[in-house]
Amino acid sequence: MVRNLFFICICGILLATTLSIYIFSSTEPRADFTYVNPSGIHTLDPARMSWTQDFRVALNIWEGLTTWHPQTLEPIEGAALFPPVVSDDGLTYRFAIRNDAHWSNGDPVTARDFLRGWRRGMEPGTATDYTFLFTENVAGAGEYVRWRREAVGGLTALARLRDGWGVSGEQAKAIVRNPVFKQIETAIDGTLFRPTKEDGNAGWERLATELGNAGVDWSSFYDRVFETHILEFDTRFSQVGLKAPNEQTFVVQLKRPCPYLLDLIALPIFLPCHESIELLRERYRGAPITAEGLVVYDPQWTKPDYHRNDYPGLVSNGPYRLSDWTFKRRARLTVNPHHRMAHVISCRTVDMVVYDNISASIMAYEAGDVDFLPAMDVPYDHEIARLARSGERPDFHLCHVSATYFLNFNCVSKSVDGRENPFTDRRIRKAFALAVNKQRIVEKVLTRGDRVAYSFVPPDTIPGYQPPAGLSMDVDQARRLLGEAGYPDGTGLGPVELLYTPGDERVCQALARMWEQALGVRVELRSKESKTFAEDKANHRYMIARGNWYADYNDPTTFLDCLGTGNGNNDSGYTNPQYDAILAEANTARDPKKRSALLRQAESIIVEEDLPILPILHYASPIAIKPHVKGLYVNGRLWFPFHYVKVER
Amino acid sequence: MIALIVRRLLLGIVTIACIYALTFVMVISLPGNPFQQGQHNIPPEAEMALRARYSMDNNWLYFREFLAGAVRLDFGPTFTYNDWTCNQIIASALPVSILLGFLAIMIAVLIGVPIGVLSAVKRGSWFDVSSLSLVLLGISVPTFVTGSALLIVFAVCLRIAPVGGWGTLGHLPLPALTLSLPFIAYIARLTRTGMLDALSSDFVRTALAKGASPRAVVWKHALKVAFLPVLSFLGPAAAQAMTGSFVVEKVFGVPGIGQHFVNAALNRDAGLIMSTVLVFSTLLVAFNLIVDVLYTWIDPRISESV
Repeated sequence: MVRNLFFICICGILLATTLSIYIFSSTEPRADFTYVNPSGIHTLDPARMSWTQDFRVALNIWEGLTTWHPQTLEPIEGAALFPPVVSDDGLTYRFAIRNDAHWSNGDPVTARDFLRGWRRGMEPGTATDYTFLFTENVAGAGEYVRWRREAVGGLTALARLRDGWGVSGEQAKAIVRNPVFKQIETAIDGTLFRPTKEDGNAGWERLATELGNAGVDWSSFYDRVFETHILEFDTRFSQVGLKAPNEQTFVVQLKRPCPYLLDLIALPIFLPCHESIELLRERYRGAPITAEGLVVYDPQWTKPDYHRNDYPGLVSNGPYRLSDWTFKRRARLTVNPHHRMAHVISCRTVDMVVYDNISASIMAYEAGDVDFLPAMDVPYDHEIARLARSGERPDFHLCHVSATYFLNFNCVSKSVDGRENPFTDRRIRKAFALAVNKQRIVEKVLTRGDRVAYSFVPPDTIPGYQPPAGLSMDVDQARRLLGEAGYPDGTGLGPVELLYTPGDERVCQALARMWEQALGVRVELRSKESKTFAEDKANHRYMIARGNWYADYNDPTTFLDCLGTGNGNNDSGYTNPQYDAILAEANTARDPKKRSALLRQAESIIVEEDLPILPILHYASPIAIKPHVKGLYVNGRLWFPFHYVKVER
Repeated sequence: MIALIVRRLLLGIVTIACIYALTFVMVISLPGNPFQQGQHNIPPEAEMALRARYSMDNNWLYFREFLAGAVRLDFGPTFTYNDWTCNQIIASALPVSILLGFLAIMIAVLIGVPIGVLSAVKRGSWFDVSSLSLVLLGISVPTFVTGSALLIVFAVCLRIAPVGGWGTLGHLPLPALTLSLPFIAYIARLTRTGMLDALSSDFVRTALAKGASPRAVVWKHALKVAFLPVLSFLGPAAAQAMTGSFVVEKVFGVPGIGQHFVNAALNRDAGLIMSTVLVFSTLLVAFNLIVDVLYTWIDPRISESV
């Protein structure tokens, strides 16, 4: 029996090992250049991506109308000739697609491919995070997206009613907004409950229940709405300011001058899309949308080896193409033979490998298994930063990222969890801001070499813009302001709550101590898991919450717009008509100097007077580049195009 | 026997159904938005569209859709990794975890059982004491410590193993050994206790009195009885080794399924949470069933009592 047992175990181990030899035997030769992506690719769909590490892969395998210079980050030519022809009013951009721009299967890149790609960036169903870049800049895009989203709301609700599932309050609202509602009302015997503003959500829920019990033929209403929507689907889109008058001309009409447009459209959401994706479109009754009105493609379209419906696998137009992708392990990029620069690219293959554990990736780098670490955020990053700054490790570098770490003050909620929220008073916000010793946080607490932030927009990152000086620490003035607000020496001010996520303990503890010492207030620290934190922050359920913002594009508005009234990312709930007016004026200003002065004026309201947020620091992010790798440049946008890289091993 | 298997199978299905229902309720009542990805708050209209896209606008509809998919072994899309389906993720990660867990359990039996037997036979000797303390260490030191220690010694200092990752044979031994350490400890303790009981029982005395060699008595007669508690431990242990290797996966960068189980919950990725839970619970139920069957095979007394 025992002999049997051991025999079984040894056989098992041998069997498993042989099996793994079989599995592991197909290893390819090492790529010319290997870099680490700690968390792996979230998505390669340019319309849906929102992480820098995904951007990095996308911008190496696709090419937009413009791209960024690897060193200066200035916009340079991409798939279109540079610069485009711009109309005198600055509202029309005419791009000429290059003759030698080709897809990885040899097809020429056309203006229609850009139209397809950009439309995906707006459609509900394909796009999420960056649709606002279209709705805020492109003429007619806002109207189109609103129309589409309302239609999706209505179609979803009608489809659910038709299938007998009932609807939610939100969906009832969508039905009422739909033009078909009048006909529904006439079809129903009796009247439907019409919620007023006072009824709030409960009113809509009541209407939802009534609709569920209405007993009308929902399928006829659904069919009517669906068919009208299909009829208008393309004609409505033709009213958006995007045109492809011929194969090689792509025209963009803006709704306001956008001086940074050429920088902006290098982002992945503005990438083109090859027509083969249409093979994977989900269709309902032959229409190009689903039953819910959404534009949906089989999400596997980004795979190089996916062939449902004769799909050729991912076709891209960048310097590289994706030749292999295994989930959360590796992605291999190979030179796109049809790219105009194919013959001069030195790195023929690039491997992106995944190390969930960043410390392990650093060990792999030290062992020579990888050439480049674009992220080294480990608990001991201050030590890495020290090695980089002192020159002891010339292969370690510090990138001063165009991003700001700040605190949100809740400017809207009168009370939080039943406690009075004092931060609706700007004097108190300013007092708390003046009492913080940012220098100490940067130099003594984090010691990573971050830059102290006095402004929301990082200085020296945007050409032609210098942010205002901001506030320096001034405890006396802070105490005076607190006294003016009715809390001399902090008396009467209840405990103040600081909300953060795990990993921010040290900074938040230091902040709490500073406030307690300078202002005599009691600060309660509360840590929440990041998804719960994000929800509380977005719904203004906090007093002070830590925040951060990375520049989406190279213009002050990427930061300043966040604090506009009603902006979806305005987590502090700040509203100031004067601020909104200055931003609106800057939006239409044609003279760059005047525009920059206006933006500066707006920012000074934020960082010197109203303080809805308190900037703490601008991140420094350590990276590691092996000495034998040339052509990678340290920069603030962590932009690393690989086709300039030369490996001199 | 067949009646037993059928009954246990039915019970297993009921168990899994209950787990599904419970998980579903927990998933939909979790705070936090699964669709928010980067730094941007997702506009409410865009979120409505996405919920409609995944039938998540209606809980009953979603409950039914997911269940219908799961019965066909199609677990649907993930929200965190748009380009992959839950099936693909499980297909890529589960074999890794099963291989690792299987190796770990084999190693654990191979090392744990002899240690337990020897320390029972030589009770009170230096071997017993030192192995007991080692066992205590194995149980109480968490795997992220032992794993990191092994990594530093073998990969960084001695350079005879890769730092981490997956893809060559060299990537196997360190994580498998790390994963097996707590199981070695448990198995050794269980064997020792069972062995001590067996050695003091009548049939062992009879066997010795009849003149059987002590060696044969220990390894043949006594161990057969002493191994039963180990066997009943092996079922859940195998399931645990194959599914609960999250920490080891993290330390060694092994692309197993444990990380998805944990990350899915952190990301509120409903589809992936429910599919990993279903896979894990199925494994647990299956291994318990296997052990029960083996039990009746080794010890027929049990099938009579069931």
